[in-house]
Amino acid sequence: MRGMPEASTQKVSYWARMTNPEDRHPFFDQVEKLLKNRTGVAGLVIISLFALVSVLAPLLSPHDPVENALYDQLKPPVWQEGGATKNLLGTDDLGRDMLSRLIYGARVSLTLGVVSVGIALVFGSFLGAVAGYNKGWLDNLIMRFMDIVLAFPHILLAIVIVAYLGPGLRNAMIAIGIINIPRFARIVRASVIDEYEKDYVTAARAVGAKDGRIIFNAIFPNCLAPIIVQASLGFGAAILDAAGLSFLGLGAQPPTPEWGAMIAEGRAMILRAWWVMTFPGIAILLAVLGFNLLGDGLRDALDPRLRD
Amino acid sequence: MDNGRLLEIRNLKTYFHVRGGVLKAVDDVSLTIAQGETLGLVGESGCGKSVTASTVMGLIPMPPGFIAGGEVVFEGRDLLKVPESRMREIRGNKISMIFQEPMTSLNPVFTVGDQVAEVIRLHEKLSRKETRERVIESFRLVGIPAAESRIDDYPHQMSGGMRQRVMIAMALACHPKLMIADEPTTALDVTIQAQILELMNTLKSETGASILFITHDLGVIAEMAQNVAVMYAGKVMEAADAQTLFADPRHPYTRGLLSSIPIVGLDKKARRLSTIPGVVPSLFSLPRGCLFHERCSVGRKECGTEEPPLIDLGKGHLVRCHI
Repeated sequence: MRGMPEASTQKVSYWARMTNPEDRHPFFDQVEKLLKNRTGVAGLVIISLFALVSVLAPLLSPHDPVENALYDQLKPPVWQEGGATKNLLGTDDLGRDMLSRLIYGARVSLTLGVVSVGIALVFGSFLGAVAGYNKGWLDNLIMRFMDIVLAFPHILLAIVIVAYLGPGLRNAMIAIGIINIPRFARIVRASVIDEYEKDYVTAARAVGAKDGRIIFNAIFPNCLAPIIVQASLGFGAAILDAAGLSFLGLGAQPPTPEWGAMIAEGRAMILRAWWVMTFPGIAILLAVLGFNLLGDGLRDALDPRLRD
Repeated sequence: MDNGRLLEIRNLKTYFHVRGGVLKAVDDVSLTIAQGETLGLVGESGCGKSVTASTVMGLIPMPPGFIAGGEVVFEGRDLLKVPESRMREIRGNKISMIFQEPMTSLNPVFTVGDQVAEVIRLHEKLSRKETRERVIESFRLVGIPAAESRIDDYPHQMSGGMRQRVMIAMALACHPKLMIADEPTTALDVTIQAQILELMNTLKSETGASILFITHDLGVIAEMAQNVAVMYAGKVMEAADAQTLFADPRHPYTRGLLSSIPIVGLDKKARRLSTIPGVVPSLFSLPRGCLFHERCSVGRKECGTEEPPLIDLGKGHLVRCHI
C-alpha cells in the first residue's frame, strides 16, 4: 500500500483486520449492524431489485416501451380473461406493453432520485455547513431563508418552480432538488454545530488549518451518518414528488414511461382497464417503501444513540 | 532575538464579554520563556492558564473574547498584531499545542497517520512518500512501536497513552520552536503519565524546543520545568525558578498548594491532608484588594483594601503579596 516496501505484509494485516472483529475498520461494523436489521435488509433487497431491473432494462423488457401496437390496445394481464402471454401485465390504451414500460420506468425513477437528491445534498450540505460553522448573521440569513422554503407546501413550491422553468423531466428533477435543500441544510447544520465543540476541531485550528479545510475536511466527514439516512429517505420522497408532478403533467412528458405519468394516462379508464393505473401505483409504492425501510435501517445502524 | 528570549508575554489582558459584564480571565500576566526552557504554569481550574495558552495560539473566540491590552512577542514579533493568514503559518509550524484530552483531540474518521501528515502537508511541500516517511519517523521519535502499521490505525484502535503520543508526534511534526502543553497528562493514568513526561523531556533536549507546560499538578512541574509561574484568578501570584519556588515559596497561596500535596507513608497524626480553606473566587465578583486575602492564612488588614504589586525579590523571584 502506498508504495511501502512491506506491501505484501500490509495486505495480510488488512485482511486480518477485516476478519478480526476487534480490529477491523468501523465501516464493517456498521455494515454488519445494517445486515442484522430486518427492515433495513428488506429495503436493501427491494432497492437492489429495482436497481438491477433498471440497469438491465433493455434485456429484461419483452417489448419496446414506447412502441404502439394498434391491434393490442388495453389487453388485460395474462391471468385475466382475454390476456395473452405476449403481454404479461397487459397493455395500455395505445397498445404499449405495461411490463416493459414499468421496467423502463424504474430507470427513470432511479435517475430522478439520484439527480434530485444529489442537488439537494450538495447545496443543502454546503449551506448547512457554512451556516453551522459561522454562527451569527450568516447562519441567520441562510436558515431563515430555508425556513421560508420549508413554509411552502412541498408540491406547491415544486409546481411553482416547474411552471417557471417549463414542464419536463429535467426541470422536475431540479425543482424537487431545490425543495429538498432545506432538509439537508438543517441536518448538516445541526451536526456541524455538534461537532464544532469537539476538541479535534480546536486541534485542527491549532495546527494552522484554514476554515474551509476545517469545515469540509475535518468536520464534514463526521456528519455523514445523518446525511446518508436523510439521502435514503429523500430518495423515496423524491420519487413520490416526481410521480406527483408527472401526474399533474408537469414532469415527464409522453411517451416517457414514468410511473406517475402512467397513472395519469390510465386515470380515464380505471373502470375499463384497472391494470393501466394499478401497476405503476404498486411500483411507486414498492420503491418508496424500499427507500424508507432502508433509511430506517441505516438510521438504526448509524445512530450511536440507538446502539446497544 | 533579544538575549535568548523566545516568547515574552507582557501585561496580557484577555477578557470575555459575558451577560452582565466583562470577565477578566487573564489580567495583566507577564511571562518569559527562554530558548530551550520549560516554563511551568500552575494554578487551580479556571485561573486562566488555558486562556493564556489559547491567546498565544490566537485561538480565543472573538467575540465574546477580546484582548484588552498587552503583547505576546514571539521571535521579536507581536503575535497579537499579526494578521490571521500569517498566524496560520505559525500555528503548528513554529508553535504547536498538545491538548488535555487525547481521547477527543483526534478526529475519529481519519487514521492517525493521515492526521499527522495533514500538519506536514499544511506547512511544507513534500511528496506523498516523503510525508509518509516523516510521519513514520515522528512516530518512532515518540516511541510508538511498529510505527509502519500503526499509522494506518484509527484513533479508537489506540489507547489513551498512544493517542497522546500521536498528539505529541503531531505537535513535533514540523519541528516547532515552542510547544504549548495544556495539561497533557491529566487524562492519563500515573504510569503512562510518567512515560509521557519522560518522553517530553527527552524530546525537548533532542530538539531544543521550548515548552510552556500548563498543569495543576506541582509534582509534574517539579519534574518538567526550570521556571514556574503560579496563577490565581487570572493573575500571576508568584514566579521563580523551580528550585527557589519549591525550596522557598513566598506567597501564602504557593505555600498552601505545596502543603496540600499528599505525602505517602507518614504517621497518622501528620497524615491528615492540609487544604486551602474556601474556594476560588468567581471571576464575576473578585474580592477587593488582594485576590487571595479571603483564603489567606497570614492576611493583614491592608490585604482587604489594597491590591499588592508584584515585588521583585531578586534573581527573577516575583511575588504578589504585602507580606
